[in-house]
Amino acid sequence: MTHRSERRGIHVDQSELLCTKGCGFYGNVAWHGLCSKCWREENSRAGHKQIQEDHALAERLQREEEAAYASSQQGASQPQPKPQHAIAPFSKFEERKTKEKSRKVHTMSKFFTTSAKTPPKKVPAEAQSTSSPSASRRPVETDRATQEFISFLKTLKPGREIFKQCRAFTEDMAYKRDLAADEMSEYVQDFYQNLSDRLHTHFKGSSERVESVMDEVERYMMTRLYEGTFCPETTDDENKDLAIQKRIRALHWVTIEMLCVPVDENIPEVSDNVVKAITDVIEMDSKRVPRDKLTCITRCSKHIFNAIKTTKKEAASADDFLPTLIYIVLKANPPRLQSNIQYITRFCNPSRLMSGEDGYYFTNLCCAVAFIEKLDGQSLNLSAEEFDLYMSGQVSPERCKAVPSSAEPAALSQMNKSLDLLTGLGARQERVMEGARRLESDLIDWRDGVQHKVQDVLERFPLETQPPPSSTASSSAIDADNVENDLLPPPLQPQLFAG
Amino acid sequence: MASGGGAGGSNKTYSFKVVLLGEGCVGKTSLVLRYCENKFNDKHITTLQASFLTKKLNITGKRVNLAIWDTAGQERFHALGPIYYRDSNGAILVYDVTDEDSFQKVKNWVKELRKMLGNDICLCIVGNKIDLEKERHVSVEEAEGYAESVGAKHYHTSAKLNKGIEELFLDLCKRMMETAQAEERAKGNGASQSSSARRGVQIVDDEPQAATAAGGCCSSG
Repeated sequence: MTHRSERRGIHVDQSELLCTKGCGFYGNVAWHGLCSKCWREENSRAGHKQIQEDHALAERLQREEEAAYASSQQGASQPQPKPQHAIAPFSKFEERKTKEKSRKVHTMSKFFTTSAKTPPKKVPAEAQSTSSPSASRRPVETDRATQEFISFLKTLKPGREIFKQCRAFTEDMAYKRDLAADEMSEYVQDFYQNLSDRLHTHFKGSSERVESVMDEVERYMMTRLYEGTFCPETTDDENKDLAIQKRIRALHWVTIEMLCVPVDENIPEVSDNVVKAITDVIEMDSKRVPRDKLTCITRCSKHIFNAIKTTKKEAASADDFLPTLIYIVLKANPPRLQSNIQYITRFCNPSRLMSGEDGYYFTNLCCAVAFIEKLDGQSLNLSAEEFDLYMSGQVSPERCKAVPSSAEPAALSQMNKSLDLLTGLGARQERVMEGARRLESDLIDWRDGVQHKVQDVLERFPLETQPPPSSTASSSAIDADNVENDLLPPPLQPQLFAG
Repeated sequence: MASGGGAGGSNKTYSFKVVLLGEGCVGKTSLVLRYCENKFNDKHITTLQASFLTKKLNITGKRVNLAIWDTAGQERFHALGPIYYRDSNGAILVYDVTDEDSFQKVKNWVKELRKMLGNDICLCIVGNKIDLEKERHVSVEEAEGYAESVGAKHYHTSAKLNKGIEELFLDLCKRMMETAQAEERAKGNGASQSSSARRGVQIVDDEPQAATAAGGCCSSG
């Protein structure tokens, strides 16, 4: 396409407009020069190719696995160990899987007698696309998750099996969206538990290795399952979200002093950290994977620690941290707070949630929410009447109460500072505008000057257009001025010779 | 208690969660900072926070990962306790030997912990600030007697002088390991069974599936 734009003017070959496939229809730049039909074909082929690649990889991993298994089997040459405990060979595994699948279908048919025609053995490509009914709506993100997951598993020996199990499970979950949230959670948690146990015992992974695998498993599965599992309709998560949101709005009047937050927002660095913490806790809602959500909470907590440390000049303890976190949550009013907490609790890898640093910050967030829900006058060192007045919005703390001395002047001075800054900015803006105007008038002057000069030159050396000599009367006849034309002998006539 | 043993096997790493309870100003933070980083009132602070700290130990050839969770000690946060100490293996209850009130608080905590977690949790009652012996308001006999009556161990520490802190944590770790081992034994043949028993009800199809429950296949659960 580029060379077309290089040419000047509208000079396009007819052939360039046509579909590059040569089907005779007109093509479109947006479809890489293809016509709509060819583009659709091409596109679906690319999708298929992706799926096939995944499968090829899965096959390859299986072959490697089998080879490894065969060699170990030759070495040991024993009968297979008991299937319950040791890793079943792949043929076994396959067999069990098909058995399971048929059983699943059997169960399914009981649930939906009309849809009993589900083929027992699914084409895997199809399975992948049906793994979540809404997959078509957001293929980009899930596909990327799949890709990343596969490339991560490439480095592992049992990679193929892990992938297969995860995919089968995810697929299976898609049918289970009518389950209550707690059941889904149990289901997923059992899967995590079984898989990590297997990794521990059969594949002899070290704890850290297993953890990292489990993280990727969680990322892959939850990216795919997010839609069905986040704030499911079977729960009242949404109502809780609205309730806490309303509650936080009603508590807008709570100040740093009431909560005894050890943070001084007059220090620019501190207020900067407070803003960052607020941003992070809000960002949590935009993530799909429980662990990513946890990471947001952790980042938020780190900013809080920075703020406390800058203010107090000592390492923050929980006594400082929790009130500050409560303050941040009140300020941020994070969207769908309860849903997010429930989602993390239900579907996060338990080892991360229960021990680990992330788990600690998450627990603190839960505490903050619980505190906000139960908050009363006493916990803010207010009398019950005062609290009620503030809550009903009849009175705001600043007006009726002798505000703690530092609060208002501090805010005022901050405001004045900001105002000064704004005035300064205004002046600078004015100067810039003036400069721009000057530049503009300079340009105009320059242009006029140049025009003048050109005019001058033209006047001094007027352009004399000399008519080409003697092309006046008979420009058409070539030999018009050939005067002796008539004197020429007549043209030769052809003569015939006889014989 | 899933975090408790890290499941069977002799060369497994134990990971324990320990909560730190006590009123504000009894020196909880100093205690852990002294233990994990050997610092006290350090003006040159490099630690960002002292609310979540970890320590790796090696006790009689077994690796132990200790995660210490500090809790907010203010009275108004008292009701949040259960959220913090859920699933913890040990609790360190700190009071200030010069402050009778803080000892009363400890008693409240103990009652609550025993009610919520039963005897699975190892309790340590710690009288901190023994460098201020002259101003002592809680008698040694009373404190130790009380600890014994509730099945807890009692320690005297000083974060300032770095006294008694190593012993406290080492002892606690040993006790938690014993508890974890006893638990493993009680569960019989270890990991796979405990894990599937852990989460109660499984979604069961109409045919019995003993093989699946015993730990083989993950996609079934």
